Amino acid sequence: MKTTRTIFQQGNHKWVAIVRDPKRPGYLVDTNEYLVTHGGEGMLLDPGGSEIFPAVFSALSAEFDPSALTAIFASHQDPDICSSLALWLEFNPGLRCYVSWLWESFIPHFGGNAQTFVALPDAGQEIPLAGLPLQAVPAHYLHSSGNFNLYDKTAKILFSGDIGAALLPPGEDRLYVEDFASHIGHAEGFHRRWMGSNEAKRRWCERVSRLEIEQLCPQHGAIYRGADVQRFINWFDELPVGIVND
Amino acid sequence: MTTALTTPDSSLQAPRAGTDLLRIVRINEEIKQVVAVSFKINIMALNAIFLAKRAGTTALGFGVLSNELRAFSQDLRTCMETLSGLIHEGVDEVSLMLQDLRFNRLLREAAELAPQSRASAVLDNRDTAFGRREEHLAAVRRQLRRALDDTFRMVELGGVLAKSAKIEAAYGQGFAGALAQVSGEFDGIVEEIRTSLESLRRSAFFTG
Ligand SMILES: [Fe+2]
Ligand SMILES: [Fe+2]
Repeated sequence: MKTTRTIFQQGNHKWVAIVRDPKRPGYLVDTNEYLVTHGGEGMLLDPGGSEIFPAVFSALSAEFDPSALTAIFASHQDPDICSSLALWLEFNPGLRCYVSWLWESFIPHFGGNAQTFVALPDAGQEIPLAGLPLQAVPAHYLHSSGNFNLYDKTAKILFSGDIGAALLPPGEDRLYVEDFASHIGHAEGFHRRWMGSNEAKRRWCERVSRLEIEQLCPQHGAIYRGADVQRFINWFDELPVGIVND
Repeated sequence: MTTALTTPDSSLQAPRAGTDLLRIVRINEEIKQVVAVSFKINIMALNAIFLAKRAGTTALGFGVLSNELRAFSQDLRTCMETLSGLIHEGVDEVSLMLQDLRFNRLLREAAELAPQSRASAVLDNRDTAFGRREEHLAAVRRQLRRALDDTFRMVELGGVLAKSAKIEAAYGQGFAGALAQVSGEFDGIVEEIRTSLESLRRSAFFTG
């Protein structure tokens, strides 16, 4: 079973990170899921692959009624992001899945119907959660060609999807980045190979630098907080990407 | 413990559905071949009729039989349509069951990890739906078995017709050679179909 860690709380407004599963088979990439709750409603960010559904579900159930999940935010179309969609829909068939318009007709291969999906335009849009304004921030080509982050200006949290992801060696399972210099070594290979465009990266770095971010939460690896957020953005800005030695 | 957690282990059902899918896929391939061969029979029966017409009064007996063979080939076609329809229904059902089994396995794990959650109730519903699929598959299996038996009996009758045509061909005087060839080919094809149907009826999909 995965563990849940509350990373922000203000009244009934809460961010919960669902992380680390000691029973996860080694051949599945480790993922972080995030639950945002507000006013009795819940939104699950990148709910994960179907094989890890039991672990995510049970951890989430300890915190929140899965039937009260009203939305899923899918940063992009990868199987580790949302292949569990059909299983979540079993608990609330009316839940909506927010995803880039690019994937609107691809993700239904994982489940859902015409009513399930809300197509996000390239420029992003506001996604309200029981009155809490959340913002879908464009992050195209990083790595997916239709890709979004989710920003919560009240909590000052940016869910960054695969950006900031680190593939940590076994045993390194801290929730937060403690030593940026050693941590980023586990992120470099991933960013070089997965991220597709230097131009898109430049624009993303400029865009998110304008946001007030206290925690930058990736879908793999540890969370960047405080000064490490800007450290990461600067590091990413400098990193050449989109090149492969084949 | 809820009923959901005490229902048969899906890890045992999965290989069964997987084996069923493999068997039904093999049956499907065999039926496709029989359908293709049956199509040839239609053309042969038409040839036999034209030949009988040309032979006229010298092959009256063959003429009667060629009309029977034509009727047989049309009936065979109807049988093949029934078999094709049923086999598709079976393949659909087994593949949906395989998908269900995967989802049910994941929901069962979730229900075990979070016993207080609604996962058990959701699983109960899915188990009921799965039971309905199993019943439907069992019905398709029975119908398919019956349809194969009916087709087999009809093909045996076709064999008798083909053999009679071979005998009648001998009385066809100047046309005897051509008539013997047509009725011989017909007999060969009917025998081929009969052998295929026989092996289909012995498939483990029906015998378990
Ligand atoms: Fe990805
Ligand atoms: Fe990912």
